[in-house]
Amino acid sequence: MAKGQKAALDAAKYRRFYEQMVHIREFEEECLRAFQRGGHGIGGYLHLYSGEEAIAVGIIGALDLAAGDCLIGHYRDHAYALAVGSPPGPVMAEICGKYDGCSKGKGGSMHICDAERGFYGGYGIVGGNVPIALGLGFALKYRAQAGVAVCFFGDGSMNQGAFHETLNMAQLYKVPVLFVLENNGYAMGTSIERSHANTDLTDRVSSFAMNRKKIDGQSIVTVHEEVSQIIADMKKNPAPFFLECDTYRFHGHGAADEAKQTVVYRTRAEIEAAKANRDPIAIAAELLLEAKIITDEDIVRFHDEAVIAAKAAVKFSDDSPVPPADELLKDVYAL
Amino acid sequence: MAKLRYIDALALALREEMRRDPDVFLVGEEVAQYQGTLELSKGFLEEFGPRRVIDTPISEVGIIGLGIGSAMAGLRPVCEMMRMDFATPAYDQIVQHAAKIRYMFGGQFQVPMVIRGPSGVGLQLSAQHSQAIEVLFAHVPGLKVAVPATPADAKGMLLTAIRDNNPVMFLESLRMYFMKPDDLEAIQPGLSEVPDDPDFSVPLGQANVLREGKDVTIVAYSWMTIQALKAANVLAKEGIFAEVIDLRSLLPLDMNTVLASIKKTHRAVVVQEQWPLYGCAAEVSAQISERAFYDLDSPVLRVTGAFVPMPYAKNLENLAFPTEVDIVAAAKRALGGK
Repeated sequence: MAKGQKAALDAAKYRRFYEQMVHIREFEEECLRAFQRGGHGIGGYLHLYSGEEAIAVGIIGALDLAAGDCLIGHYRDHAYALAVGSPPGPVMAEICGKYDGCSKGKGGSMHICDAERGFYGGYGIVGGNVPIALGLGFALKYRAQAGVAVCFFGDGSMNQGAFHETLNMAQLYKVPVLFVLENNGYAMGTSIERSHANTDLTDRVSSFAMNRKKIDGQSIVTVHEEVSQIIADMKKNPAPFFLECDTYRFHGHGAADEAKQTVVYRTRAEIEAAKANRDPIAIAAELLLEAKIITDEDIVRFHDEAVIAAKAAVKFSDDSPVPPADELLKDVYAL
Repeated sequence: MAKLRYIDALALALREEMRRDPDVFLVGEEVAQYQGTLELSKGFLEEFGPRRVIDTPISEVGIIGLGIGSAMAGLRPVCEMMRMDFATPAYDQIVQHAAKIRYMFGGQFQVPMVIRGPSGVGLQLSAQHSQAIEVLFAHVPGLKVAVPATPADAKGMLLTAIRDNNPVMFLESLRMYFMKPDDLEAIQPGLSEVPDDPDFSVPLGQANVLREGKDVTIVAYSWMTIQALKAANVLAKEGIFAEVIDLRSLLPLDMNTVLASIKKTHRAVVVQEQWPLYGCAAEVSAQISERAFYDLDSPVLRVTGAFVPMPYAKNLENLAFPTEVDIVAAAKRALGGK
């Protein structure tokens, strides 16, 4: 973002974005501690969003969810729910397999959702959510609704056939889906260089003749200002858009490979450098302080409140019962 | 009552549902401009326009994904597979997504969609276009699996499937598509009749006693139902009266109708086109032995396809799936013959 534009930033909005990013970070870090501590009910997989917060917050903050904009995610999905405004307690309770979880404890960390707020859920099959996004956008177009469907996915998804079928059809039908690539450099433990014949992932999309752009996914201002313009254009002239957000994840692919990651696929130094130079919260703090949108006191206060909120979410979850046995057979079919 | 071909009964149900509900649309390969590979959607593009009759690239994953997402958003997609065999590239979308979305999100979403297309063995279509893959779906909680045999069920069950709030795999019998009503009537009077009521519907999960008998129960579905009726005609000439039950849907599976019949006949033959191991006949047979063992006078027998990919050569193909001759032989074995 050019210096001249800073004055135009909406102060209240960016204060909220900053606060949201901090809350998401502390929520994720609390998840990791709860996982490592044990005893809260977190089993199976736990994928954390730390380091990528500016993308979910900046993009979801540009949506008009009440008017029908919607989104769909993948398994690193806690942040999407928090960014649409889901209360953190039920999100944590879901991660912990509790009955008050947003999916009644039946989905777990990878299957958070919020139907009421237009979040169509997180999905565990890499690339599997991408074709469904086509349908969400198709429904908007079918009903002549001026909305967009946002599809979040990672660099690994781009090597699934489902991705390519979907992008072709989306462009063919001019369906208003914003395809958001969260390029964090690694599909689990496999780097871009080891898995993409063409490492310019935005260029890979050129074959679909789809509008596309690559941006810095670590700057909340860049993400939000760019996406706001893109979405406004999509609503005026319905068509898909491919947006690559360059980012980095601070934790392992899942909480279980927290230790193994620096042995098998990336160095501790690489992670530390990213935390020092590419932390979206630190980048936002510097920019928003300079623009006098937040103060040093705000930073401390937002952080402290976020820590308290994350602990309260764990408390909410701890106080929630496990799903009753008769839930086992419910929700298989709709009436 | 109109006497209809199976394909015309399907088209009628689809057309009437699209007229009734503006949220119903048809999407698939060659459904619009080409009017359907088998002309099932003849005239649809003209009547409903390109917004609701949508040609796609050869991209089954994309077709099913489009269906799932739009169904979650409240539409009622009918996704056509040119042949049901082509659902296999989209198996992930169907089994990992459509089937599980309701459960894994604790009931927050529903996926009211139909995935339909012609299916079944024969016609020298060889290994990749001639098979019965319904149990690949019937194994999965969250899906419904319809396998109608008659024109009336084709119409009544497709209507029900479109109005159902769950993903329904609707496997049509290609062998039945173009069978002339007169030929069906010759097998059994009334077999081609379809009620005129536009709201005529047949529930999913209710088997049908197509022919009553007292000596042996023949359980079948789809094309094999027609073979079973032919077999019953042959048996009747020899004084053996077979009861023929058409399962009509595999999921839900109506065992009560089957068990009630076995209480009467005490003998059962279960027929399917598909490969023998872990098939529908195995499931039906297991449930009979668990729930009606003491009603049986002889072991439940299975009549199934051979455990091979479908061969092309006509003589080999004829050996690869059951016919009325195999069913007659099995019924006689169940009655103590050789």
